[in-house]
Amino acid sequence: MTGPALTPDTEPQGLTVRVESFVGPLDLLLHLCRTNEVDLANLPIRTITEQYLAHLESVQFQDLESAGAFMVMAATLIYLKSKLLLPVDPDAPPETLDEEGELLRQELADRLREYARVKALGTWLGEREAEQALLYGRTVAELPPPEDVPLEDLSVHLLPRAMTRLIEEQKRQAPRQVEPNPLSVLERMGEILELLRHTWSLLFSSVAGAERMRTEWVVTLLALLELVRLGQARVHQAELFGDIVIESGPAPGAAPSPPPDTTSQEDDPIPGDSAHA
Amino acid sequence: MPEPIDVVEALLFASETPVEADRIQEVLDLGSAGEARELVRTLAGRLDGQGRALQIIEVGGGYRLVTRPDVAPWLVKLARSRTRSRLSRSALETLAIVAYRQPVSRPDIDAVRGVNSEAVLDNLLDRRMIRIAGRKDSPGRPFLYETTRDFLVAFGLRDLTDLPKVEGELAIPETPPAEVEGSGAPADTAESTPATDSPQQDPGAGGAGVTTGG
Repeated sequence: MTGPALTPDTEPQGLTVRVESFVGPLDLLLHLCRTNEVDLANLPIRTITEQYLAHLESVQFQDLESAGAFMVMAATLIYLKSKLLLPVDPDAPPETLDEEGELLRQELADRLREYARVKALGTWLGEREAEQALLYGRTVAELPPPEDVPLEDLSVHLLPRAMTRLIEEQKRQAPRQVEPNPLSVLERMGEILELLRHTWSLLFSSVAGAERMRTEWVVTLLALLELVRLGQARVHQAELFGDIVIESGPAPGAAPSPPPDTTSQEDDPIPGDSAHA
Repeated sequence: MPEPIDVVEALLFASETPVEADRIQEVLDLGSAGEARELVRTLAGRLDGQGRALQIIEVGGGYRLVTRPDVAPWLVKLARSRTRSRLSRSALETLAIVAYRQPVSRPDIDAVRGVNSEAVLDNLLDRRMIRIAGRKDSPGRPFLYETTRDFLVAFGLRDLTDLPKVEGELAIPETPPAEVEGSGAPADTAESTPATDSPQQDPGAGGAGVTTGG
């Protein structure tokens, strides 16, 4: 533990703007006390209250609750300040409070001191953490887990977490309905043409898919027949029930398909009456 | 036949948690835990002497084999990740309160911090830095929190007495009746009075311009 580490607020006084957020009203108050170099034992309520309220506008509240905590502190300070405005004894020195106010101020000072310690300890822990972060050890052993589970570091808190994890796991493993894409003759024709652009010939089976789904085979066959009719592809089959070989280009003449429609085939390779499977 | 000291090295290498002297004694069938400690000390000396990249540290009531800090940059490169997730300031302050006041309830923590600590405590529970120790016998029966062994390991503390001593209501908790003093450990100075013996370690008094009034 070193000196500078425990005094994080040693920046010069004056026009210092801290963008850093304060983690609570005590944090802000402590910061004000330190920048003003005031003695916590006799907290100057007047100055501190004004500065606290001024800072409040720049504090970024994380949520309503933390905003509330800042407001409660503001209310306490304002209450104390209001007591100062009505001095009990006109001859008393400034910043004199009545008994109740003095108690309140004392309590505030105590809390501030306690918080200052906690804050310093937090800084110390942060440094330790940073040091330890440079050391790498095993975190998951390859040893088989012990037969008896050590109960020392278990906590009730882990039960709901385990439960949630189980539920999530169940959800993930539940069977899902997968919707197949409806097949379209039109799309299949496009696919075949696309394939033919890159290869000399294709096998029907490779286009129709190895899964031998009936609808897919039907759609592919229809698409192929349509392409042949339009003169975009040639087909031949070496034997009965054998694989069909598809080649690009119009049939040389001996094709079993009807002669291509010479007028429109180039402009409109895809017919309008596309069938959906 | 491997030497006992080599077996100790293997134990520390293979274990994911700190290995206590008692455990080493048990596994190696040694006469006493002191013997186990001696073996670890020799091994640590050997690692130091040979300038190895590994070292033995004493945390959480046991021994761990970890890398030396000066090789950390290469490990970061290996991991292809710059940051290990660190605790926020709020989390560290909350952890400090739990560490010093354990077992402690959330209302008590809130009172010191001046803000609601629920989310922070949940985070610390998730990271297993703290655990629920029971319920307080006060209205609402709030949970009581205490630190875990993971906390000691994460912060490189042998036990809670490794925490710096401070004045005020933050007193270091009594060391749990642990293996530390169990079997012929060297004279233990952990019993010294927390408030008086090290004023230079009091971070409250060390704060900038803050005098600790009576």
